[in-house]
Order: sequence, then structure tokens, then C-alpha cells
Amino acid sequence: MCFPLTTSWRAFHQTPEIYSVELSGTKDIVKTDKGDGKEKYRGLKNNCLELKKKNHTEEFQKELHLDDHKLSNRELEKKYGTDIITGLSSTRAAELLARDGPNSLTPPKQTPEIVKFLKQMVGGFSVLLWVGAFLCWIAFGIEYSSNKSASLNNVYLGSVLVLVVIFTGIFAYYQEAKSTNIMSSFKKMIPQQALVIRDSEKKTIPSEHLVVGDIVEVKGGDQIPADIRVLSSQGCRVDNSSLTGESEPQPRSSEFTHENPLETKNICFYSTTCLEGTVTGMVINTGDRTIIGHIASLASGVGNEKTPIAIEIEHFVHIVAGVAVSIGILFFIIAVSMNYRVLDSIIFLIGIIVANVPEGLLATVTVTLSLTAKRMAKKNCLVKNLEAVETLGSTSIICSDKTGTLTQNRMTVAHLWFDNQIFVADTSENHSNQVFDQSSRTWASLSKIITLCNRAEFKPGQENVPIMKKAVIGDASETALLKFSEVILGDVMAIRKRNRKVAEIPFNSTNKFQLSIHETDDPHDKRFLMVMKGAPERILEKCNTIMINGEEHPLDESTAKAFHTAYMELGGLGERVLGFCHLYLPAHEFPETYKFDTDAMNFPTSNLCFVGLLSMIDPPRSTVPDAVTKCRSAGIKVIMVTGDHPITAKAIAKSVGIISANSETVEDIARRLSIAVEQVNKWDAKAAVVTGMELKDMSSEQVDEILANYQEIVFARTSPQQKLIIVEGCQRQDAVVAVTGDGVNDSPALKKADIGVAMGIAGSDAAKNAADMVLLDDNFASIVTGVEEGRLIFDNLKKTIAYTLTKNIAELCPFLIYIIVGLPLPIGTITILFIDLGTDIIPSIALAYEKAESDIMNRKPRHKKKDRLVNQPLAVYSYLHIGLMQALGAFLVYFTVYAQEGFLPRTLINLRVEWEKDFVNDLEDSYGQEWTRYQRAYLEWTGYTAFFVGILVQQIADLIIRKTRRNSIFQQGAFRNKVIWVGIASQIIIGLVLSYGLGSVTALSFTMLRAQYWFVAVPHAILIWVYDEVRKLFIRLYPGSWWDKNMYY
Amino acid sequence: MTKMNEKSLNQSLAQWKLFVYNLTTGEFLGRTASSWGLILLFYLVFYGFLAALFSFTMWVMLQTLNDEVPKYRDQIPSPGLNGFSKTSDWYIEDLKKFLKPYTLEEQKNLTVCPDGALSEQKGPVYVACQFPISLLQACSGMNDPDFGYSQGNSCILVKMNRIIGLKPEGVPRIQCVSKNENMPNVAFYPHNGIIDLKYFPYYGKKLHVGYLQPLVTVQVSFAPNDTGKEVTVEAMFKITACA
Repeated sequence: MCFPLTTSWRAFHQTPEIYSVELSGTKDIVKTDKGDGKEKYRGLKNNCLELKKKNHTEEFQKELHLDDHKLSNRELEKKYGTDIITGLSSTRAAELLARDGPNSLTPPKQTPEIVKFLKQMVGGFSVLLWVGAFLCWIAFGIEYSSNKSASLNNVYLGSVLVLVVIFTGIFAYYQEAKSTNIMSSFKKMIPQQALVIRDSEKKTIPSEHLVVGDIVEVKGGDQIPADIRVLSSQGCRVDNSSLTGESEPQPRSSEFTHENPLETKNICFYSTTCLEGTVTGMVINTGDRTIIGHIASLASGVGNEKTPIAIEIEHFVHIVAGVAVSIGILFFIIAVSMNYRVLDSIIFLIGIIVANVPEGLLATVTVTLSLTAKRMAKKNCLVKNLEAVETLGSTSIICSDKTGTLTQNRMTVAHLWFDNQIFVADTSENHSNQVFDQSSRTWASLSKIITLCNRAEFKPGQENVPIMKKAVIGDASETALLKFSEVILGDVMAIRKRNRKVAEIPFNSTNKFQLSIHETDDPHDKRFLMVMKGAPERILEKCNTIMINGEEHPLDESTAKAFHTAYMELGGLGERVLGFCHLYLPAHEFPETYKFDTDAMNFPTSNLCFVGLLSMIDPPRSTVPDAVTKCRSAGIKVIMVTGDHPITAKAIAKSVGIISANSETVEDIARRLSIAVEQVNKWDAKAAVVTGMELKDMSSEQVDEILANYQEIVFARTSPQQKLIIVEGCQRQDAVVAVTGDGVNDSPALKKADIGVAMGIAGSDAAKNAADMVLLDDNFASIVTGVEEGRLIFDNLKKTIAYTLTKNIAELCPFLIYIIVGLPLPIGTITILFIDLGTDIIPSIALAYEKAESDIMNRKPRHKKKDRLVNQPLAVYSYLHIGLMQALGAFLVYFTVYAQEGFLPRTLINLRVEWEKDFVNDLEDSYGQEWTRYQRAYLEWTGYTAFFVGILVQQIADLIIRKTRRNSIFQQGAFRNKVIWVGIASQIIIGLVLSYGLGSVTALSFTMLRAQYWFVAVPHAILIWVYDEVRKLFIRLYPGSWWDKNMYY
Repeated sequence: MTKMNEKSLNQSLAQWKLFVYNLTTGEFLGRTASSWGLILLFYLVFYGFLAALFSFTMWVMLQTLNDEVPKYRDQIPSPGLNGFSKTSDWYIEDLKKFLKPYTLEEQKNLTVCPDGALSEQKGPVYVACQFPISLLQACSGMNDPDFGYSQGNSCILVKMNRIIGLKPEGVPRIQCVSKNENMPNVAFYPHNGIIDLKYFPYYGKKLHVGYLQPLVTVQVSFAPNDTGKEVTVEAMFKITACA
């Protein structure tokens, strides 16, 4: 893993590993909270217990007892059997490698492919169909045992059912495998190298081969290859943002500075990045035993929740299977009590099951979801788990990480203060629009200091890269200043060249300033210019004048007060403020040949001239405020959860609208009324900023209270564990929770969330691995697209299911009538399968292309327990209204065919027994003609075909009415969704092929139907359409009425 | 865990009870009495309408039919042959019953038609031709009430299915081909198994009152030493239908 500073660079350095993660939840590894210690552990341990996770206590112990940071070099050498100068011997290293395994994170346990495949084979309706198939074979077995010449029909039917199961299973498996493959493109292998001392030699080896005790050297820009204890360092700073969410670089040195291994300066963590300087250290942990490995495993300890759509589909399968089984058993009993043979009753049971189960539906749903996934991928939302496509649509709370998700994750100059005025700098992604007044001579001086007092440099070879995207060597704030000046002044490097640097004191934490001395670019001015920047209060101390409008004025109390006001104001915005001052060294005291000595400090560092302040922030992405507003109007609560400081977090929350402009926190109210925070009624506030420190003392009830009562919440200084607690809190509110994040510290929460959304460019692999969805452009606004698509797919799935369920009644009724009234069988089981898996497939997929009926982004998210995918009105309307009308229409075609061939409806009643007797070859029809068994069978197939055509024609009407649930077809536009017409065409073509193309294949039991029979059901089809238009009209006319409640699905 | 399960079981049971009958709202199965009334009324009207509609469309469909002749006869292009013998679940009693309309008594109102020609008629009254049972000779059941079964000279009755408007081309006759090597002695009644053309065409149950379809009987006599052998005999006939 690596987390280099600039985003452009990140994209190319994603490392390959996927994480795994089997970790003890009982561990609190990463704590960003400053301040200490024991109490913090207590709180977290309690939380951990709540997480109900298992063992791994051993590792936990080890984790807590990490004491390498306290040991001296000698003790370390002893502990790890190594030598700081010569390193490990190759043989010893090989032994350790064999013992500990490679230094990489174990990929998560993959479900074996065969298990995935078998799951598809028994999931959903498959079980019912398996039962049907076995019943078929059993029925044949019984028949065969009594009659050796029993017909093989049941064997065929059983085999066909098994084929259907296998076929749909393979299909679903293939779809899923395809969507998983999209992800694997992420995992391109870029092997990491590490510089290691072994056998007294420096060698470059793949970092996977590192073992504990290795002495490694890391330089600026490299990823830390393992957890290392620093032995020596030169100006080393690391970016820990992936662990803690802090965007500020952290210095690293060999001193032991803190009891807590996470706070001490002499340990660098695996997968963090060394930004600058060099460091030599000893490897103390590798692979899964590193801190990052533990967090990664924390994520895997979190169970995968079922996606809302999976729950909905399960619910739907239960309903349909329940209907199928209960009708099947009911009619089995009826059939037996009507003195049918048990064997026949079993055959009826199979027919009823086959008619009731929408065999093609689950495959259709998979296709529909993957179509949406593709559409979303085009809009930069990559979906890893197909079912997650819908989850975003039902999301009611988004817990967003700040750094990198809401913000650009790069420090940027936000404000300037000079001439007693605050100026606003453009913080948008390209900085293009710097509008502040640049005419003042103070700005000229300030810009010179910014340019010269800066060690950051662009990496070479980026002439064509836009300034904001150029890679820079240097820390975050220097980079910000470099880019800021490059944008405004042009070629900074050339300016620096003209103002040759003669001496420099880099920034350090004791001085808190940075200083450099330059020749001026004016050939007549022989003076040296000393420029300095640093912590504002320290800089001010060193000044006795201040520059206003280019003139030096003595620094008096009023100007000092103005400075403090500005400093407080900028600080209050959560920005990091720097002060700038300069001094022209008098030429007579410091002639051209003067030797500056930075150790002896043979030059003045006081009585300088204060020039101005400049403040920086990691600014929000420009698209975020709009996206947050859209989420709001879609009824989604956006909560910020960050590891960063509360002030910064709140400032960013305000600027992106997570805390809206006019809402106040308890603290704000207290300040406004000048009363103590405790005196404020805490429910008066609309917004809340809660820190990790406060959170750890809260019971889960208190967390619930906060989540339920505040509309606008920011959680700051939170640990990964606490992020998990927050997500669980939201889930206790029955909310569907989306978590966005990019860092390793986010990965447990990403996993726990109903849908985890990781950033594709800035995101760590751990985050991407734990997430269900990846935003390829890191744009929070893409989430809004995701929500919209998710809601649309939910609506459209409703339509698809309603469409599919409708014809089940038309397929079921024939069996019921056949059993009770004794008509010759109107439609065969195989024919039903041709509808379910043939003519109906493309139309039901076509509904996925339907546009939204109204502005779906202006309604509340669906309630996951109340707004079901398949609700009662949907089932009732599909089964008992349209389904029944369809059945009648299809029966009309059936009766027409029989009547016109000689069997009038009244003759057909109770004809079943004679009709099916194999030896009756002279069955008399209504006109006195006599029919042989074969002639009757052929007529029966013609009847099947007629019934099939009847259903087909009415399914076209059904497809058209399902385009909308509320609006009229005319409002929706009958031709807007072209795919629907493709679907209708496919239906008709498949029907024609079956009847006229395959009409001669006896096994399929289709016959060539007279053309006019295709039109018999047309009036019924029109009636269906008219009826549904009337239904929709009343729904629109009388919202909330009895009709609306019972007829709107 | 079990405790939790029990709890959730109890909960769901309570929820179920509440669903069945909710005392506070007076809801039975999720609906109040008036709500049930309304929904039942709705379905009464809706299904009444559907039933009326279905009846109407069926009535319209029936109007397209002709009482006398079915609209299409394409599914029965050629008549089936039916052999009735003791082996195919038909018993002597059934044979007797079947032959009852063929007794002279029953046929006395029928016309004696000229042999060897189709008896095409234009209506409005259609006459049926006599089929004297005596044509069946030994198998008529008049002399031998056992139809030869007791003597091993089994009579197999072959009839041709009635099909409206069927006019044979040429002379339809029943032939038998043995599938075994040794052909048993076969006798056909009427002679040569010929079916006279005068019984064609058939004009349907309604117009052609009293129509008797022609019959052929095949008497198979087995030589005494052949007993116990199974003999398969296939009846064939050639006829072309013209509607």
C-alpha cells in the first residue's frame, strides 16, 4: 500500500495485495486520540465486547505489549538476533521467512468457486424445481413398477426441470463471476522493492521477502515496507493519513517519545509513506502481524450483512414459494379426495409448482442488476457486488469520511491576510480563479517570501502536466505554497534561480520557523534578503514592524490586535495558519562575500518586518456541496465521520453543507448567548460535533439518542472501532447505511455498512477491498448518481416482478380447472417453461430500461421494513386482477380452438378421463365425429399452442401497462423506451418460431396455429390496458384514497 | 442463543395473533370489518364484470360456429380404425351392446341405399342407409352369441371412425397383415372386408339422424396346434378423405 502525497501519483502506485482479515475484534489498535491512555482503552474494550467477536486474545495481548519502541538499539539487536551494522545473514533471513511467511497481507478467504456454483443450484426457486423433478421421477418409477410400458413423459419433464435449474444456475453464476472480474483489474501487481542490509551489504529485494530483524533504509517518496522501529533518521516525515485520517505529516526520529506505540515517533507503520528525508530502521513486524494487518483483519471480523435487495428477493421467493406449495398441497388434497389416483395427483402437484414458479425471474433480476451496474460503471461507480446496485437507492444515512472523500486531500491556500485585510483564495480543484487584490506592494513582498522560503520542488519531467496535478517533493503545506505561487507568479523555479539561496534553516519543531537568505534579483541591490515563515505567534515575536501597503510601520498594539483577530478567525475556520516576515540585511554589514553560518546564526533573527498571514486547508471538492444538497432533498442524512480535529471537521462540514449555514451546535448557542455549554438545552441545537473522546464514554443508548435527535452530525477524532460503533448505531435506527472512505482506518466501517463506498483513486486497497462499490473518480457526487440508479432499479424490479407474476395465474388456472372441471389439459408443463424462459425473458429485462416516473430524488428513501419490493397490492393486483383477466383471455382462445374443431365447451366438461384413455380411439365430439387418441393429442397440443398464444398476446399488454405504476403510458411516452419494443418483437418472433418453425417437433407439443387465433385474445389485451389506465387515473386523481392504498403497488 | 430464538418465536407468535385479530383497532387479518366489506364488494363487482365479459366473449365466439358442421376438420384428416375384440377390454357384452343399433328392428326406419355409390345428399332431410347386421355373417352374433370366442374362431370387430364429409376414393377395404410368419386363417365379413361407398359421406349428428357407420368383422381361426402362440395381426385400409 502506499499513500503518496499527490493524487496524480497515487493512481499508479496501488499495490496489489488484497487484505485479509481475520482479526480479533477485541483489539483496539489504532487510536488517534491524543492524550492518553488507560481510560481510553477501557472505553474501547467495552465497545469491543459489544462487537461480540471472538478470541484472538493472544494477538491482542501481543499488540498491547508492543514495547519495541522502548528498547535500546542493543536490546533490539538481541531481541531480533540481528546486527544494526551488518544486518541479518541471508540464511537466517531465509529461515525467518520460512517461519513467518512472506511480508504481505493474506488475501481474504475466497469462497471456493464450486461452493458459489452449488449455492446458485439450490438458491431461490431451485429447491422447488428439484422437488418437482424428483417427484416426476418418482411418479415414473411407481408407474413403471406396475406397467413396464409406462410413458417416459415424466422422465422427460423431470429432466427438463433439472436442466432449467442447471441452466439458470450457470447463468447466474456466470453473471456474478463476470462482475467480480471487473474488480480484479484493480489488482495489478506492482511489486514493491525494499532496500535492506543483509550480510553487510545493501541489497534491493522485493518487500515481500522482508523478515523481522531486517535493517531497511527508506527514503522520501517510498512506502514503508513493514512496521519498523526507527534507528536513525534525517528529516523524516511520514504520511499517516491512511491510518489515522490526519493529513498532516508526522515527523519520525529514533527517540522514544510516547508510551503508546501508535503515538511514539520512533515507529513507522507498514503501508504509510515516507514523504521526505530518509530513515533507517529495523523490521519489527511483517505481513498480517503489522498494525495495518490487524486493522485489515478487523474489517473481516465484521460480518457481511445481507444487502437490502437480497432480503427483498428472499422475501419475494418466500411469498411465491409459499403460494406455490400451499396451492399445490391444497389441490393435491382436493385431487385425492376427488378420487384421482395419488400418482396423478402428484403430477398435478408438479404442474402447479411449475406454473407458479417464475423460473426465469431470478436470472432476469441478475441481468437487470448487472445492466444497472454497467450503467453505473460508465458514470464512475464501480459495483463489486451486484446486489449492492440497489442498496445505495435505499440508503437513508451516509457516513462519510472527510479526508479524500469530501476534501481533495491536499493542503491548499485558502486565505491570506495582509494590509489588515483578509483575502480569499480560490480553493477549487484547479485554482484557476484567484481574484484577490494583487496590486498591493505588500503582496509583492509576501509572494516573494512564499516563493523563496520554500524547499518544495516539482519533480522533473512534468512540463505538460497542469500545475495542480504536478507531483511535488516536499510536505503538504510547502506543496500548497509552491503550487499557489506557481499559479499566480508563473515559473517559481526561475524566480528562485534569480534569487540565489545563500543560507537556509529548515523547519523544525523546536524553532517552529523556517528561514532562508537570498541574493536579490535586482542587480543594483546588493543587499541580502532574509525570508522567514512559521507559526504566526513565533513570527510576530521576531518582528517590530509590519508592512502595510508596501510601507513599513512600527508594530503597535492596534496592529497586533488586528493580527490576533485575523489569526483567531482563520484558525477558527479550521485552517492551518502560517506567518511570513522578511528583512533586507544592510549591505554594509553583510557584504556580498559574507559567509552565513546557520549553526552560529551570525545574522539577525529579530526586529524583522511582518508581512502577512496565509492559511491553508484541505479544501472540499467543488462538487461536494451540491451533492450534499441533493442527498438532503432525497431524504438522506449525511454524517461526517473523521479522524481529524473537530474544528477542521466542523469547518469543512459547514463549507460543504453537512452542517447547514443557519444551524448551530450546542457550543455555538453557548457562545452566542455567552453562557456555559452545560446550560444550553442540548436539543435546541440542530447540529452536533461529537469527538471520539466523548463517544467512548457513551452508552449505545446515548449514541442512538444523538443519531436520532440531531439532523446534522459530525464525528471527529474517531478511531476505526468507533466508526464501526457509529455505523452500528445508525443501523439500529433501521437505517440503511452507506459509508464512504478511502483509508485503511475506514475499512472496518466500510465492511460493516450496508454499502461501503471506497474511493478509486485515493482509496487504499484495504478500503477498496472492504467496500461494495468503488467511485472511480473519487467524486462524492457520483454517490448521488448511485442513489438515483439504485432507486430506479428498485422501481423497475417491482415492474419486472409484477410483469412476471401476472402470467403465473394464467399458467396456474388451467391446472386447477383441469383438476376440478375435467377439461382436456389447456396448457402443458413444457409450454409453460417456454413462456417463463422464452417469450417473457427479454420483455422483463426491457423493463430495466424504463425511465423514472417522477423525480425519484425528491422522495424519502424507502423504509427497509415497510416499503417492500413485493408488497401486498403488487401480489394481489398481479395475481387477482391482471392475472385473472389474462387467464380468462387465454381460456377464450382455448375454447375457440376446441369449439371450432368440434368440441363445444359443454362437451369438454368432465371429458378428461375418456380423453386421456390411451385405448379409446373413437371419442365422439359435439358433432358426432370420432377422434382417435393421437388425433386428440394433436388437438390438445393445438390447445396448448392456443393457450400459449393467448398468454403471449396479453403479456404484450401486460408489458405495456407495467411501464408505469402511477403515470399514464402517454405521460411516460410509449416509445421512449425502445427496448420495450424490442421485447415485444422478441415475444412475437419467439412465438411464431415455436408455433410455425418448431410446430412439427412433437416433443415440444407445439402445432401450427391458424393465424386468426392470434387475435382472439386481443380484446382482452386491450381491456387489460384500459383497466390499468383507469387504475392509474384514479390513483393520480385521489391520492391517499382507498383506491390508492389498495391498487398502488 | 436458544433463549433469543424462543423470544423471537414468542414475538412472532404474538405478532401473528395481532395480525389475526387486533383488539384495539378491531382489525381481522389486517383489515377492519368495513374495510373487508369494501374490498369484498369491490371484488364482487369486479369479478361479476369479468364473468359477464367472459360469458359475452364466449357467446360471441359460439355465434361463429355452425350447429351442423364444425368449422374445421383439419385435425382429423383420416378416420381412425377401431378393433373391438375380447383382448382389448371389450367383452362380449360390450360387443352385443355396440351391435344393438344394428338389429333389423332398430334399422327399420332407415333407407335401403343402392350399393357401390356415394350417397351424397343436399338436405334439408338427410337419410341414413341401412347396414344389415347379417352382412357380418358368422360374426353377427345372431347365430353365435359368443362371437366365436368359445371355439377359438375369435371375431374382431373393426369400425371406421365417423368423420363429417369424408368421401373415400376408390373402394375402401380392410386388410390384415400378419406380423408373424404363419398367417392364421382369416375370414372377412362382409366379403373381402370391403366397405360399401353408400355409407359415405357422413353429415353430422344433427342432420344425419340414425346414421350407422359401416362395420367389418375379421374372424381369425387358429389351427389347433397353434394354440398358445401369440399372433399379431395388423389391420390396414386405404381411404382418402374429401371434405
